[in-house]
Amino acid sequence: MVFVAGRIAAAIPVLALVLIIVFLLVRAIPGDPAVVLLGPGATREQIAALRDQLRLDLPAPQQFLEYVAALARGDFGLSLKNGEPVLREILLRLPATIELTLMAMFVAVLVGVPLGVICATRANGPLDHLLRLVSLVGVSIPAFLLALLLQLIFASYLGWLPVSGRTSALVTEAPITGFAVLDAMLRGDGAAARSALAHLVLPCAVLAAFLAATLGRYVRNSMLEILGEDFVRTARAKGMTRPRVIYVHALRNALLPAVTILGLKSAEMLGGAILTETIFAWPGIGRYMFEAIRNRDFPVIQGTTLVFALIYVMTSLAVDFIHGALDPRVRRKML
Amino acid sequence: MSITRRQLAPAVALPFIAAKAFAQGTNPARTLVVAVPSDAVGLEPGTNRAEPIGSEIILNVFDTLVAWTPPEFSALEGRLAKSWTISSDGRSFEFELRDGVMFHDGTALDAAAVKFSLERTRAMNPFAQASFNLINEIAVVSPRVVRIVLKEPYPAFMSILAQPQSAIVSPAAVARLGDQFAANPVGTGPFIFRSRQADTNIVLEANAQYFRGAPKLDRLVYRIIPNASTRRLELENGGVDIIQQAGQLAAIPAETIQALRNNRNISIIEVPSQIIRQLEFNNNKTTGPIADIRVRRAIMHAIDYDGLLQGVFGNTADRVYGPLTSNSWAFNPKIRDLAPKYDPALARRLLAEAGIRPGSLTLPLYTFQGALWGAVATFVQANLADVGINVTIQQTEFPALRALHTSGNFDVALDGRQPWYNDPDAHITIGYLSSLADTAMTFRFPKDDALDAQILKAQQTVSMEERKALYFKLQEDILARAPGAFLFSPKLIVFARANIRGLVINSAPPLNEYWGVSKQ
Repeated sequence: MVFVAGRIAAAIPVLALVLIIVFLLVRAIPGDPAVVLLGPGATREQIAALRDQLRLDLPAPQQFLEYVAALARGDFGLSLKNGEPVLREILLRLPATIELTLMAMFVAVLVGVPLGVICATRANGPLDHLLRLVSLVGVSIPAFLLALLLQLIFASYLGWLPVSGRTSALVTEAPITGFAVLDAMLRGDGAAARSALAHLVLPCAVLAAFLAATLGRYVRNSMLEILGEDFVRTARAKGMTRPRVIYVHALRNALLPAVTILGLKSAEMLGGAILTETIFAWPGIGRYMFEAIRNRDFPVIQGTTLVFALIYVMTSLAVDFIHGALDPRVRRKML
Repeated sequence: MSITRRQLAPAVALPFIAAKAFAQGTNPARTLVVAVPSDAVGLEPGTNRAEPIGSEIILNVFDTLVAWTPPEFSALEGRLAKSWTISSDGRSFEFELRDGVMFHDGTALDAAAVKFSLERTRAMNPFAQASFNLINEIAVVSPRVVRIVLKEPYPAFMSILAQPQSAIVSPAAVARLGDQFAANPVGTGPFIFRSRQADTNIVLEANAQYFRGAPKLDRLVYRIIPNASTRRLELENGGVDIIQQAGQLAAIPAETIQALRNNRNISIIEVPSQIIRQLEFNNNKTTGPIADIRVRRAIMHAIDYDGLLQGVFGNTADRVYGPLTSNSWAFNPKIRDLAPKYDPALARRLLAEAGIRPGSLTLPLYTFQGALWGAVATFVQANLADVGINVTIQQTEFPALRALHTSGNFDVALDGRQPWYNDPDAHITIGYLSSLADTAMTFRFPKDDALDAQILKAQQTVSMEERKALYFKLQEDILARAPGAFLFSPKLIVFARANIRGLVINSAPPLNEYWGVSKQ
């Protein structure tokens, strides 16, 4: 408990720092939101009036304090672009991003971990070489290129999967939870659920490719290390079957570094989601943030960055706890 | 029983194929899917800032008093107005409304609703303020007749009334919905707003009671697809029926257009626009090479205008000769001859006269991001290198370029203007009036009382013939000042599945009407 509280307390300065940096950065890049908002023909007076209305002329420290005070009340401010509350706009888009990244993580673990184990148990064999080559491609291929290739092959050429979007354009029911697959199931609409799942496949594959490849490489290396250790030899000597040794004893130990990587890379994956979301017309917060930067929508940039930072911090916390669950030594240290 | 891989493959693929084809009670043959590059900023006429996507949806959900008549868009026709008269002093506009027009909420359209809507926009829209503040009074003469009186004559006002900011909203719905009206717009138009999911789609349904007749479609779905290559794949696959090129900066490149031309399932509709793209000088500068008109002229003569259209655009853009496009009713045909011709030798001579040795002048050329602008900038760079001017290309984001522009910290920039209403005033006043020099999207003209007076006179003259003559002269006078090199006018290009009929594409601003559209 003390550990948990301590870790959460340590996250606060991190978030505060992120807030300050983003607040200053968005104001340092050239471009006046009032000019963008008013468009052509706006006079100096109109621009000045709008800047005043948006409180952009206040001294930066005062703007910052007002912003933090509002944040403390759960008020993320209003989007400069359309005047909507930023928090509500983020919450509208968060399910799409969570759906995509969770699914991608799930697929990455499902593919990456066995990949690593297979490579490790057949180290330096032809299959190992082949899979390592595949994972090298997975780590190095740019997301946009992979996305285009998959769209061309599976959507355009084979016609198996939709090109983009979250659901068929003909599904226009209002969301319930915001998670497309779940919503369709709640409505008892099997066809819509299948459609939502089909729409998930390609963006999920793009996002998962990098993570699965990275995971595979880590699991392989740590597996190789563990398989050479004394306790593995002892287990085998005691007559334990090879699969049991590998999957129960060795894998559990080999997963420790993989969990760290999974945690950190998943947070990074949110960054990758910006590109994936744009190419696949996926209405998540990555795309929302990207648009906001282009429009100099300060409150949205700040709000989305804060959410990204929060997710990053929470993922790191989760990694620590999972570590504890997997490794009794860490657990003891935690207490 | 063992399952072979051959048996497994269709089993895996089937649900997806089925999912792709499923229809959920909607008739795909009567549902039109339009792909747009970004979400609408708003669906509220009152706050519309001429942003293309929201504007188009507004014009399909609402009606205006008048609208430009296709296919020429050079004359106005009545929409909610059955007829109108304009007083001889050009200040008073009286409209007689159509009978029996109903809003989507079942309330009737009347003169009070017109007054309410226009006053509402005037109160809440800073973008349109300059035009709407000209309104002195709106009088409800009778339930069917409304009179608008301006403070000063402004002939382009009729054009303003055809814009989305002037769309007529249901006062009852505004009263009932309050702040939520923007999220649930209620008009009289051919389509009824049904739902909107942020960054995903906007769904409209046919208004069976529409006064011009029910639309031929049941449903109109706008899908937001930010990536140009994804939009293209969706069109080729039949996932969308129409790609709207609204976002000029996110447009589909020329080589892709060529590829789509060869696809028999896709038709390409090209319409000349009133958009102008130019290399503009910072005309407000009093020092440096650009302040010398010989240098400006040299640059104007150094550019191979036809080569640019051919090489970079594959003829998907038209020539522009001066401050107005050739399809404007006020275009002066003499400008075709007066416009600087591509003549590198003359350009070199002019530079020599200005005392600039070949290779001694280096200019940063600012422009927007994107492959298209990059290609234009590179072309111009090569042309200028040919006459001995070194150009470094600086592609910046839109807000950064605007900031640079309004601050005046540049010599030359590639820029453009899409008029938000169909009148020469939209190009000339914003572009060249010296009092607007420090604002966005202008040529930063220095103070020039004679020219300013001429611009304002052309803006306010009531007689169409007189106005035309004034704009003819203005085009010559502006061109004589060598304000920039007028590069090209991109055509409005809409890509549609070959089975789409009846699409009307407005040229200024480029907004599609879907009332008469059908799928064969």
